[in-house]
Amino acid sequence: MRPLTRYILLICLLWTVDAAAETVSVVTRDNAIRSESRFFAPVRAKVRYGDRLTVIGRKGDWYQVSAKGVNGWVHKSAVESRSYSASGRGRSAGGVSADEVSLAGKGFNPQVEAGYRNANKNLNYGTVDEIERLAVGEKSLETFIQQGGLIQP
Amino acid sequence: MMFPSPSAARRMICLLLAGLSLAGCRLEDLTPQQIGMIASSVQTIGKAARPVSDEEEYYIGRAVAAQLTATYPLYRNKRLTEYLNLVGQTLALHTEQPTTFGGYHFAVLDTPEINAFACPGGTVLITRGMIASVKNEDELAAVLAHELGHVIHRDGIAAIQSSRWSQALLIIGSQAAREFSSKDTAQLVSLFQGSIDDVVKTLVVNGYGRDQEKKADLAALGYLAAAGYDPQGLVGYLDRLQEAGRGSKGGILATHPGTDERLENVREAGAVSVDRSGFPRRSKRFADMVP
Repeated sequence: MRPLTRYILLICLLWTVDAAAETVSVVTRDNAIRSESRFFAPVRAKVRYGDRLTVIGRKGDWYQVSAKGVNGWVHKSAVESRSYSASGRGRSAGGVSADEVSLAGKGFNPQVEAGYRNANKNLNYGTVDEIERLAVGEKSLETFIQQGGLIQP
Repeated sequence: MMFPSPSAARRMICLLLAGLSLAGCRLEDLTPQQIGMIASSVQTIGKAARPVSDEEEYYIGRAVAAQLTATYPLYRNKRLTEYLNLVGQTLALHTEQPTTFGGYHFAVLDTPEINAFACPGGTVLITRGMIASVKNEDELAAVLAHELGHVIHRDGIAAIQSSRWSQALLIIGSQAAREFSSKDTAQLVSLFQGSIDDVVKTLVVNGYGRDQEKKADLAALGYLAAAGYDPQGLVGYLDRLQEAGRGSKGGILATHPGTDERLENVREAGAVSVDRSGFPRRSKRFADMVP
């Protein structure tokens, strides 16, 4: 292969890395695409960990994204410029590399938690699940903020 | 938690190619396959050196909470717990990280000890003793805001010995580890156990460093002001700690030393003009909830 071709190949590789920045992945277990760039705005679609969103624009701390047939806004803390499946197995990874798939969900994950729980029967995971289940609704939170003379986010 | 950005990956590729050049290897000598391997290796190296991810932080936080709630029973008062979550969620929305992998959760531990714990990932546990010691919603918010500061600064994760995470990465980053073998799992569970012990020891016994406490206090002042709470609530909370300190040295006083110094810092930084018109309403609902 000629030197020029090699350089073109390298540039293409670098361009591919940059192109990945046009999509972001949801890094929270659950989240929402909202109609406006603010919390409590109406939800247009629910998204889950690992969902890939196409970035259309950005305003402050919010990304304007497109996914699941809708356009809307998601807070920057809910997404990252990476893409891989939640478990690293079973789910389609949408064209990501083998490295990404093999690393996805590896590490301190549910499999490790299960082993840890098995080795430490005295731990109180039932209570932790109970704590995580209690969730306040958005409407309650919005009302609470308003009634307390606090600032809407 | 951030993986190397595209620009960082590009820089790494350039650095690697520069290194090859210095070593006498010319780009022209490389085959397309070799160039591809270099790019792949750079990405793999970047990921192998990654810090603890948000989802891993979540599982660490769950285990820490499981240990703490095995020591201190949960106080099951639904109204109070919901109220605590409303205060905490309000604050969380005004931080630089309004969302985490598993979300923020707030709960009460049934002990008269005055203390609060920030579990990695976003679960904050506060004792009945602490709730009884604060005088109004703004002071309660100050306690939670301080703990949110620890969560967001990842102070719990920082307590994990770096050698444990390095060892874990060796297992995680193994090319063959598409599925953990039983041996890999056993090793990771052992490293996980050690990591949890590191965090719990810091939360319960040693406490965070003075600098971490100061940063959490300063962050709390910002969160309180952004949410519309009076940042001076943090002064009130520290006053309560100081009062409690006159009678006892246990609980939070064992892990949060230097209350005088913290008060001084906070008094100076927290003296900002705020709209206090909602304070009476907040104080009333606090009194209704915490008689």
